Amino acid sequence: MSITKYLWVAIGLAVSATALPGTAEAQDCTTKIGAVLPTSVDWGRPIAETAQFAVDQVNAAGGAAGCQIEMVLRDTQVDPKVGVDAAKALVDLEGVKLLLGAVSSGVSMPILTSVTVPGDVVQMSCCSSSTAFTKLSEDGKTNGLWFRTFATTGVQSAVAAKVAADKGYKTVAVMYKNDDWGQDMARLIAADFAAVGVEVTASVAVNDGQPSYRAEVTEALASQPESLYLALYPAEGTAAVREWISLGGTQNMILANSLKSDEFRDNVGLQYLGATLGTDTASPRSESADAFRAAYVERFESEPNGPGLANSYDATMIALLAMEAAGKDASGSDIAAAIAKVTDPNGTPVSADTAGFSAAKDVLSGGGTVMYQGGTGNVRFDKNGDVSAPAVVWAFSEGGIEEVEYMSLNDVDAFITSLK
Amino acid sequence: MIGVMSYLVFFATTASILAIAVLGLNLQWGNTGLFNGGVVAFFGAGAYGTLILGGTSQEGHLGGFGVIYPLALLGGMAAAGLMAWIVGLLTLRLRHDYLAIATFGVAVAFENLMRNAEWLAGGAKGVRGFERPLRAALGDGFLYNILFFLVVLAILIATYLFLERLVASPFGRLLRAIREDEEAAQSLGKSPAKVRLTAFVTGSVILGLAGGLYGTFYAFVSPQDVLPTLTFQIWAMLIVGGAGNNRGAIFGAFLIWGAWTASGWALSRFAPIEAQLYTGSVQFVLIGSVIVGMLMWRPEGLLPERLVVSQRGSTPSNKQGE
Repeated sequence: MSITKYLWVAIGLAVSATALPGTAEAQDCTTKIGAVLPTSVDWGRPIAETAQFAVDQVNAAGGAAGCQIEMVLRDTQVDPKVGVDAAKALVDLEGVKLLLGAVSSGVSMPILTSVTVPGDVVQMSCCSSSTAFTKLSEDGKTNGLWFRTFATTGVQSAVAAKVAADKGYKTVAVMYKNDDWGQDMARLIAADFAAVGVEVTASVAVNDGQPSYRAEVTEALASQPESLYLALYPAEGTAAVREWISLGGTQNMILANSLKSDEFRDNVGLQYLGATLGTDTASPRSESADAFRAAYVERFESEPNGPGLANSYDATMIALLAMEAAGKDASGSDIAAAIAKVTDPNGTPVSADTAGFSAAKDVLSGGGTVMYQGGTGNVRFDKNGDVSAPAVVWAFSEGGIEEVEYMSLNDVDAFITSLK
Repeated sequence: MIGVMSYLVFFATTASILAIAVLGLNLQWGNTGLFNGGVVAFFGAGAYGTLILGGTSQEGHLGGFGVIYPLALLGGMAAAGLMAWIVGLLTLRLRHDYLAIATFGVAVAFENLMRNAEWLAGGAKGVRGFERPLRAALGDGFLYNILFFLVVLAILIATYLFLERLVASPFGRLLRAIREDEEAAQSLGKSPAKVRLTAFVTGSVILGLAGGLYGTFYAFVSPQDVLPTLTFQIWAMLIVGGAGNNRGAIFGAFLIWGAWTASGWALSRFAPIEAQLYTGSVQFVLIGSVIVGMLMWRPEGLLPERLVVSQRGSTPSNKQGE
C-alpha cells in the first residue's frame, strides 16, 4: 500500500507545483516548444542533445519571436502510446505550438493524426522516413503542418545506385533493417539498381537485436554478389558485416548514411572497409555548414557523425526561424506558413549558428525572406513537407570519415530524373 | 484550463481502452487461470481488423472495404476471436508456463507477420487512411474527443457489467472451479477443455474490442503498436490492480497508465536540465520499481479477488464461504 501512497503524494506535489511558475515571470517571457524523442534509446539521446543545442544558440541570439525558448523534452520509449500521450500533454498542458519529433515513423504518424493535426500544431521531425507521410499529405490529411528534414529515402537510394554503376558492379545483394525505413529503402534501391543495370541477387531483411545474423548473411552470400548494399543501423550492421566478412563475403560494400558512424568503423575494423563507400545527404558548400560542424565540435567535442544529428539541428533551427517569422503568439498554421519564408531559395542566405539567427531576425523584421543553410544543406521543403538535398559519397579513413564525391542539389535532381 | 480538461479526456480515453483490454485478460487469467502471454496479438488483431475493414482504399495492401464503423469494430473483434479459437484449439492443452510461452510465440509471430506481409497490412509502414467515425460531422477538436471518450466509457461499463454477470453466473463458478482444480471439475461431469476454450475466446474478443477502439482513436496502427511491451503493460495493470477482480482490473489500468504518463511528465518538468536527457531511462527504473514493490508487498493486488458464493443457501457450510 505504501508505494501507492507515495505515488499519490508525488502526483499531488506535481499538481501543486504546476501552479507556481506563472507568478515568477514578469519581465522576460518564455515560449515553450515540445520535443518528443526516444531519449531512453542510445541513439535517441544525441538527437535530443543536438536539438537542445540549437535552442541554446537561438536563445543566445535573444530567442525567437521576442521570447526565450524553452524546449520541453519527453521520452517516447519508441512506444506509440507513450509518444502520443507525451505529445498530447505537451500540446494541452504546456501549450506548445511547435512539436519536434518523433524519430520512428510508427510514433510520428499517430501523433500527427491524433494530436498535432487536430490541435493545429506544427510537427517537425528530424528522422521519420516512411513514404506513408508523403501519401498522407497528398491525401490532404496533414493540413500542411507536417515537415521533416530527413531527405526522403529517394536521394540516398539514387546515389547508391550511381555508386554501384560508377564502380562497375554487375550484381549486388541488399540487406536492410526490417522496419518502415528499411523496407522503403529496399524497395527503392531495387528499382534504382535495376534502372542503372545492376542486378539485385538477394534482398534480405534483418531484424533488430538478434545474437547472430548468420542465417541472413548466408542467404545473401549464397547469391554470390559482387557487392553488398547495407541499409542497417550500427548495432546490427556491425554484427552482420563481421559475419559477412568472416564468411568470405566481398568487401565491396555500399552503406546507407545510418552506418556513417565511428562506432561502426571501429567495431568492424578499418582494414575490412577499404573498398567500402557510403552515401549521405550532404552539407552545402557554404560557410554555414562549416560553422555548424565547428560549433558542434566545440560543444560536444566530437564530429556530428551519428544518424540524424544534422537533421535534428536543422529541424529545430528551421522551426524556430519560422516561429520568429510568424511573430508573437502565432498559431500552428501561421508557423507552418512561415516556413516558406525562411527556406526561400531567393532569400538572403543565413548560416546555422547564433550569428545566422540574429541576421535572419534583422532580415525578417524588415519584411524580407531568408534561405537557411544548415547542417543538411539548403533545406527546401516541397508541398508535402519533404526535402531533397545535395548528396555526398564518403569512405572510412584513419581520421574518421572522409568525402569522396559531392553532388549538388541540381546534380542529384538531374540524376534522379534520369532514373525515371 | 481547457488544456488540462482536453488532456485529461485524452488520457482517460487511452486508460479506458487499456482497461477494457485488462478486463479481457482478467477473464482469462483472473477467472480461468489461463496464462495468456500473447495479449498483444489479439489486441492487434482487433486493431488491424477494424482499420482494414473500415478504412479507405490504400494502394499496395488489403483494405478499403469502407464498412460502416460498428460493423468494422465487430469485424475486428471477430478477427481476434477467430484467431483465439484457432490458437486455443492448438495450445489450450498446455498448462501454465507452457501456455504462456506458446501464446507469447503467437504474439511474436503476429507482429512479424504484420511487419513483413506488406500485401496484407502495409508492412512496417502500418495501416493508415482510416476515417474516424462521424469526424466529418463533429470536426476533430475537443468536442470529438469528449464524445469519443463517452462512447469508450460506455463500452467499458458495458464490458464490466457483462463480465460481472458472467463471473457471478454458474458459468463463472465453473471457470473458477477449473482454475482451482481441473480434475475435480471434470469428475463432476464438466468439460474443462471446452470451457477453457470458451473463456479464452471470450477474453480475446474483449481484447480485440480494446484493440479496435485503440486503432480508431489513433486512426493508425503499425507493427510498433503490437510489440511485446504492450503485453507486459497490460499484465502489470492486472497484477497491480488485482487479478480476479474486475474493479481491480479497471483500477490497475488507470493507475499504471497514470503512473506511466505522470512520471514522464513530472520528470520532464522537475528534473534538472542536465538530467533531462536521462529521464527516459529514469522512468523505466521507477515503473519497474513500482511493479517489483507491488509483487513483494502486495502480490494479490490493490483490490484482491473477493471469493463470493453465487447461490446463497441456508446451510452453515455455504455461509462459511463468504
